[in-house]
Amino acid sequence: MTEHEHTPAEARCSTAEAHDDEDEHHYPGTVVLTLIFLLSFAVYYFANWKALADVWHVR
Amino acid sequence: MGNHATNAVRTCVTTGLPVCLAAQRFVKLHAVFAVIFLLIGGIASILLGLTRWPAVHLLDATWYYRILTLHGLNMLIFWILFVEVAILYFVATTLLNTRLASVKVAWTCFVMMLVGALMVNVTILVGQGDVLLTSYVPLVAHPAFYLGIILVAVGALIGVGNFFATLYIARRDKTYEGSVPLVVFGATAAAIIAVVTLLHGALVMIPTFVWSLGFGTAPDPVWYRLIWWGLGHQSQQVNVCAMVSVWYLLGALSIGAKPLNQLVCRSAFVLYILFINLASAHHLLVDPGVTAGWKIWNTSYAMYLAVLASMIHGFTVPASVEVAMRKKGYTQGLFGWLFAAPWRNPGFSAFFLSLVIFGFLGGITGVTLGTQQINIIAHNTLRIPGHFHVTVVGGTTLAFMGLVYYLVPLVFQREFYARPLARLQPYLFGFGITVMAIGMSFAGSYGVPRRHWDVEFSGAQFATGFDPGAHVMLGLLGIGAVVAFLGLLLFILLTVAAVFFGEKNEGRAMTAW
Repeated sequence: MTEHEHTPAEARCSTAEAHDDEDEHHYPGTVVLTLIFLLSFAVYYFANWKALADVWHVR
Repeated sequence: MGNHATNAVRTCVTTGLPVCLAAQRFVKLHAVFAVIFLLIGGIASILLGLTRWPAVHLLDATWYYRILTLHGLNMLIFWILFVEVAILYFVATTLLNTRLASVKVAWTCFVMMLVGALMVNVTILVGQGDVLLTSYVPLVAHPAFYLGIILVAVGALIGVGNFFATLYIARRDKTYEGSVPLVVFGATAAAIIAVVTLLHGALVMIPTFVWSLGFGTAPDPVWYRLIWWGLGHQSQQVNVCAMVSVWYLLGALSIGAKPLNQLVCRSAFVLYILFINLASAHHLLVDPGVTAGWKIWNTSYAMYLAVLASMIHGFTVPASVEVAMRKKGYTQGLFGWLFAAPWRNPGFSAFFLSLVIFGFLGGITGVTLGTQQINIIAHNTLRIPGHFHVTVVGGTTLAFMGLVYYLVPLVFQREFYARPLARLQPYLFGFGITVMAIGMSFAGSYGVPRRHWDVEFSGAQFATGFDPGAHVMLGLLGIGAVVAFLGLLLFILLTVAAVFFGEKNEGRAMTAW
């Protein structure tokens, strides 16, 4: 697959339109990216709570 | 169907959209001065980066804080506000096929903003405004400093009013059918937040200005901090809203992406309007002047509704790109659409890098640092600027740069020179900012404070300083700052060369990226 070649005709602005037809929706790659995001967030968030626990002991 | 006077509109050959010539003039004016303020802020940024790098430690203490004040105001307020007013005029008139409501009001807005910004910069550079961006009382600057900020705020408010008036006449004259496009909806959300933001600015700056003239007493510091962040943080929320609108616009311009679902995307903008202002509370999480209940409500409950809005956009924007690319036939595997995306188009690469840097780095660090308990180990450390440099700079500024790669050929009707360099620029800038922010964040994790001239504490009575790891990270900060500055300088040189000397493309479509 080669890189998508952009042409001026494709620059026609389509901001007034939308894919409101649910059948057109197919974005498995974005779902995977989102899961990577959530995993990254969970790791960072946990690491910060761990760092807090290390300096602020609960007895 | 438009309401333009004769000879007051042209049709863009590339997009087929109408361009109001009066609005075009103000878009150009605001864009040119935005880039000038970006240059001023950028020069300040490299001086700061080379000072926070202990091995270089360029500026002395006085000039460090002076330049830090200059950097904050030019980058966070002037560059951003000038672009945002340009965006408001452009999307309202072009996407709704309407004339600008008032040329006189647009001139008033522009002149007030310009005079105000110049007053602030001159005041800082002559050493009469060393109060940092926050200008917390009882620090006091020359009255011209506060008056300049008031002029910028009121001028921008007038510009926002002109935008609302333009929306009104478009609806009155039925220049469009159905609902406004999503980009206009997003810009309207940004404008509504801007009104609240700028009113906070007027509320806090007017009494401070009066006090700086020698009348009355200083505003209460707790009240000042609370209201100031209604200006300081909310102005960045205007950025977020405008940036998301620009993402949708660049997705449409670069690959013909369409919003996935209008209702969901618009609801996310409404969440911004309702809840994003409360996120300013996270600046006051260690402030003794406000109660724990107030902090917890704002940052542990209300703020997450704004975060939800960002997560919705963070999903729908790349999904709209994926849907558009798959419709073009790039359906191979999970990420065939992503590899085949137009990465050589700086409008697209700046947009997508902005999305990734803002979402992955800015979003994750922002939510974490906004948690009250965690904030206690990060507050006032370099982790905070590490966070907001990937939101405001890696996110907003990079997205706005991407917009400029379309704005110049479509509005200025000039072509870029040195297109290979233009293709490289978003990567250079995005990489530099990311490295710099990572250096800041990890140095902050070692406890290195923000807004601090000398982390070596030269001349201290007791031996002090930070772990060698912190110095490695500060070195990374400096290297990232140099790379980002080169990317910024390249952007400015390319833009100035195109705007003033670029080949004219009037009467024909822009050269494809």
